[in-house]
Amino acid sequence: MDRLIEILEEIKPGVEYKAIPDLLEAKILDSLKIVQLVAELNDEFDIEITPIDVVPENFRNVDTILALVERLSEE
Amino acid sequence: MSYISYQFFLFLGAVLLGYTVTPSKYKWCVLLAGSAVFYWMNSRWLTVFLLCTTTAVYAAARMLDSMEEGFSLAKGHLEREEKKRLKALVAGQKRGVVICGLAVAFGLLLWLKYGAFFAGCWQHLPHHWRLPQPPVKTRMFLPLGISYYTLQAAGYLIDVSRGKCKACRNFAKLALFLTFFPQITEGPIGRYDRLSAPLFEGHPFEYERFTKGLQRIVFGLFKKLVIADRVNLFVSAVFEESGTAPGGILLLAGILYTLQIYAEFSGCMDLVIGCAELFGIPLDENFARPFFAKSVSEFWRRWHITLGAWFKDYVFYSISLSKPFMRLSKFVRRRGNDFLGAVLPAAMALFFTWLGTGFWHGAAWKYAAYGLYYYLIMLAGMLLEPLFAKVCGSLRIHRQGRAFSLFAMGRTALAVVGGMLLFRAESVSEWGTILAGIFGRFSLRETLASVLRYDMDRKDFAVIAVGVVILLVIGILQEKGIHVREAIARRPLPVRWALYLALVMAVIVFGAYGRGYEAVDFIYGQF
Repeated sequence: MDRLIEILEEIKPGVEYKAIPDLLEAKILDSLKIVQLVAELNDEFDIEITPIDVVPENFRNVDTILALVERLSEE
Repeated sequence: MSYISYQFFLFLGAVLLGYTVTPSKYKWCVLLAGSAVFYWMNSRWLTVFLLCTTTAVYAAARMLDSMEEGFSLAKGHLEREEKKRLKALVAGQKRGVVICGLAVAFGLLLWLKYGAFFAGCWQHLPHHWRLPQPPVKTRMFLPLGISYYTLQAAGYLIDVSRGKCKACRNFAKLALFLTFFPQITEGPIGRYDRLSAPLFEGHPFEYERFTKGLQRIVFGLFKKLVIADRVNLFVSAVFEESGTAPGGILLLAGILYTLQIYAEFSGCMDLVIGCAELFGIPLDENFARPFFAKSVSEFWRRWHITLGAWFKDYVFYSISLSKPFMRLSKFVRRRGNDFLGAVLPAAMALFFTWLGTGFWHGAAWKYAAYGLYYYLIMLAGMLLEPLFAKVCGSLRIHRQGRAFSLFAMGRTALAVVGGMLLFRAESVSEWGTILAGIFGRFSLRETLASVLRYDMDRKDFAVIAVGVVILLVIGILQEKGIHVREAIARRPLPVRWALYLALVMAVIVFGAYGRGYEAVDFIYGQF
């Protein structure tokens, strides 16, 4: 979780990530930032996030992003 | 048959009557029959191309489903490594099927819409290469809505391959999804997972829904006939003299042309969504008050939403998250440039996305330039964002404040007017001439003196001003989260009906009708 928050902070600093229930609705994550995030997550956690995984449900908040990372790490 | 014609409204009434009296289970058949008649009346024998695309994506999607089912059955008996190998094998086969399906759909689009353009480009290749002459020399006839239904069909096939939805087992139902008559001409580009259920399940007649649909249709007519078609008089007259018109007039024509396209396209969407609402079918919204956008990228999330979303989901993510792009990003970051490593895949994928968006609008280099114009603005925004944040920080500019928001909206609107001038110009060089005219021949006095020379009098300007104020007030209310239609519906009956009658009267009295009371053709209906 901490590393994920660090990555998000690098992409867009100054956001209380844990407190925001919907990062997409709050316009904190857009498509360009999602690509940056995916590149970082793939690199950091040695996973492969594909376009199939890029759906709003997976990027809504830190919990859903973490769940995606955990699911792909297990595969 | 244009959407703005009495024939269309008679046709709509007949289909609605048929839909209402038919048992729920077969209501979708009425929609299919209506869509088939509508398509045949508009495209005649060109309907065969729509059938080819439908057949290709139907067959490909069914094959994908069979492969997935076969894999699901087989994987239960396999060890982890074997399962992995089989998964990779099936993924490769599925990719092949998707490529074949897309090749048919996009092959037809490329041939029919872009064949003459490619042939023209081919002829400009050096003569000493001694290349054979291409067979396509003139513009082909285009089947109705080919640019829209091709994207919708491709999106459906990709969604099935990604497991987002199951393949449609009924060919006729898939044909309805691709040809639903209110949306075939100008979209919105639908998604199978959202649209299929409302299309295929029958909805009983509901008075409230019916009146809401009618309201939306009349509001669309108001935007199209009162605002867009009136503005067209001025815009057409000015652009006929684009080489000599005063700079201020050209700028005004650019602003009014932007208003024209917005009123026309969003008005058409109101009409289309209203028609579908009569049947109880919710279509995706295509506009969300685009001129409240504070950046060009936000503008494109509010303007022609379903096209932008299509390119984002199926082109932008597919390219930017592909293995080569991810590897490139990793390579650059390992060289110590984190910022570039993060921005590079998105920046490169955006190039192809905007080139595709540009060419989707038409088969000419100016459309490529139109897409790349927005690409360059977005790229500059991305690359300069750290610098911009620093400057705003040191000058203590509050970027969330009202003043900065207004400035950002104005800046975005100006950039959009620049793009619309390119869209309107015959070529990139004519766009240059228009821009040079705006800056080189700008004189406020001359502009004011000649503004009434271009087919619009004071009354026309007054009608447009009132129309813009109405759109602006509705836009501000909606931005504040107020649902205008629901708010009106809560008013007492006399107030409600007075408002509806006023809107209908406005369309009848202030609509700018051409010869024979025909509306101007939809600009986005020519794709």
